[in-house]
Amino acid sequence: MIRVNGEPLSWHPGKTVEDVIREKNYRFPLLIVRINGRLVPREDYGKTEIPDGAEVDVIHLMSGG
Amino acid sequence: MNREVNDITIEIDGKRVTVPEDTAILDAARRAGVYVPSLCSSDLVEPYGACRLCLVEVDDGSRTRLVTSCNFPVRKPLKVSTSSDRVKRNRKTVLEMMLARWPEVPLVKDLAGAEGLTGARYVHPNVDLNPNACVLCGLCVRICEQGIWEKIVNFSGRGVDRSIRMPYDSLQPHCVGCGACAEICPTGAIEMVDDPNRPYDAEMIRKAGMRITREMIKYDEQQCDMRGVGTAHLVEVMDAYDLLPVENYRFGRHEDTLKIESRVFREKYFSPGKPDGCWLGCTMSCAKAIEGYELKTGPYKGRKVLVDGPEYETVAGASNMGIFDPDFVVEYNFYCDTYGLDTISFSTLTAFVMECYKAGILDEEKTEGLKIPFGASDAAMELLHLIAQGRGFGRVAGKGIRYMKKYFVEHFGADPDFLQDIGMEAKGMEYSEYVTKESLAQQGGYGIALKGAQHDEAWLIFMDMVNKQIPTFEDKAEALHYFPMWRTWFGLCGLCKLPWNDIEPPDNAETDEPAKVPEHVKGYCEFFEGMTGEPQTMDSLVRMSEKVYNFQRVFNLRMGFGTRKHDVIPYRSMGPVTVEEYESRKERYDSQLEEQVGLDPRNMSTGEKLAALRKFREGQYEKLLDAVYKRRGWTDNGVPTVEKLSDLGVDFPEVMELVRKHGG
Repeated sequence: MIRVNGEPLSWHPGKTVEDVIREKNYRFPLLIVRINGRLVPREDYGKTEIPDGAEVDVIHLMSGG
Repeated sequence: MNREVNDITIEIDGKRVTVPEDTAILDAARRAGVYVPSLCSSDLVEPYGACRLCLVEVDDGSRTRLVTSCNFPVRKPLKVSTSSDRVKRNRKTVLEMMLARWPEVPLVKDLAGAEGLTGARYVHPNVDLNPNACVLCGLCVRICEQGIWEKIVNFSGRGVDRSIRMPYDSLQPHCVGCGACAEICPTGAIEMVDDPNRPYDAEMIRKAGMRITREMIKYDEQQCDMRGVGTAHLVEVMDAYDLLPVENYRFGRHEDTLKIESRVFREKYFSPGKPDGCWLGCTMSCAKAIEGYELKTGPYKGRKVLVDGPEYETVAGASNMGIFDPDFVVEYNFYCDTYGLDTISFSTLTAFVMECYKAGILDEEKTEGLKIPFGASDAAMELLHLIAQGRGFGRVAGKGIRYMKKYFVEHFGADPDFLQDIGMEAKGMEYSEYVTKESLAQQGGYGIALKGAQHDEAWLIFMDMVNKQIPTFEDKAEALHYFPMWRTWFGLCGLCKLPWNDIEPPDNAETDEPAKVPEHVKGYCEFFEGMTGEPQTMDSLVRMSEKVYNFQRVFNLRMGFGTRKHDVIPYRSMGPVTVEEYESRKERYDSQLEEQVGLDPRNMSTGEKLAALRKFREGQYEKLLDAVYKRRGWTDNGVPTVEKLSDLGVDFPEVMELVRKHGG
């Protein structure tokens, strides 16, 4: 189990940042992702695996006119 | 969607480097730390292969040849030499020709010097001794066309007579002096001479502007694609987060949203490559145009017209009416613009009419013949024309939701409480197009906004609902202090806020407060300082707004608004009004009752659950108002205090007298 923005989410070995973004349907493009406080560069979302028990922040920068 | 890109490993001067397919050899070399000279390349424009300095020798296993590395894409494993004898010989010849023509340009001299050249063996017939001579690299031409979407400068003449010119050798009215050409020019050949506004430091303004331009050119397509589709990209985003208003804000998504998402407008409607920007020179260029749309209704039926838009709010206004037809979006967009009506007010008030029709408050007799359930696009268009003409039911609807609520109670015996719940207006102005039920901070953003229910003071839904960054009342109050003040500042200066946070610098994530986009705040400080000569900080800009904002609140007070009772919002913006709404998100609401209210929903009817949730959420909103008023230095009744106004220096006698009368 991991926590994404404070809410529990199921975990499996090899689960990547991209998997979480897809599962949570986070379609907004301006995201900042941190795993246990460590920043994950955008280009690494597909290859960064999340460890079990991790606190994941997927910060959406605001938008709108 | 992105296609699958393969990584390919190549060897450059013996160094192995792996790059995505189609990366230019020059970029691969830079990534590998191998220096390759170049005059005409830039990460802001397409490669051009003009200067020939970046020549390298490529061995693909079958043959060896010279190529310009800036525009040679890596598609298979290669062996690249950047300094073989053949490369050096050719590069030297190119540099000698440059030196013959532009012998005093420092950059040319340096590049030639690096190859051991101090002079040319011959004299060019058009030798130019200017140290800032144009070397015909074409960077200015390309950034103007590809980056700014203009064609102010271009090549003229052939052979030795080739030069960079403006058409007819005259200053072009389309040129707004953005300075991108001068900024990118490697020799300083382009000089900015005309500063009609006489700013204190034009260079400071241009440099800050160029930083935004650079980000737009490099990152926009991967970020919000504002240049491609404008704010319409938010349609599919909001649907994904259950925030797109559907059927008078009853729901937040719909299976038919894909019919009106931005892809549809990009592929079938927007004129490609033609921004209808708000003003010339804006590199965000998010306002789009549709050319040749044939109108189906109204006084211009059958005419082909140009339509400015649609923006997010206009598209979301259609879903709010339960309509998912892109032609309707374009049609109502055009007629609202033509009639001088706001698409937001029209769509929100029509969604209200539709719900009243569904609830039986209205019928064909009461609407004078208009059959207008959710999704009735023909009836919605007819209502729009009637409003503009001041005829039939348009006379009533055109006066807005606040008027209709009163009218329906007085003339049709409607339940005033129900109308208050579903009539999406505050301070008499219709809501813009976001579902706010799950974001208490955004409810405050709409309710406390001085002009009425508009999100442009504060758009906090992601911070609050998705990111969970502002969990306490104090956190929300802080956000409802900073962001409205910050956004007010754009209004004070007549600047657009979209370049602030609809594009993001690449290192924004690493800053302390990425939501504020500190790099861009710094840029706005420089705009202000460059114009006025007065250095600024984030705090000083916010303080400018605070003075005006508080003064405006007092103005509201003078006009009979500006107290707590005017910051009330319809319950539809706080939570589910009807059983159908509750049932549609039952799991969410049940778990909230359990976790936040401490009730066991299993033994409760939906009616009981609705009432309990409502009591809780209305209480939360009141606590939010308390926290925000306190943070802003206002009384419990939402009136700026004498102390606050004195501190801000807006303690004019008339102002003080008024606030004292209201307990300030």
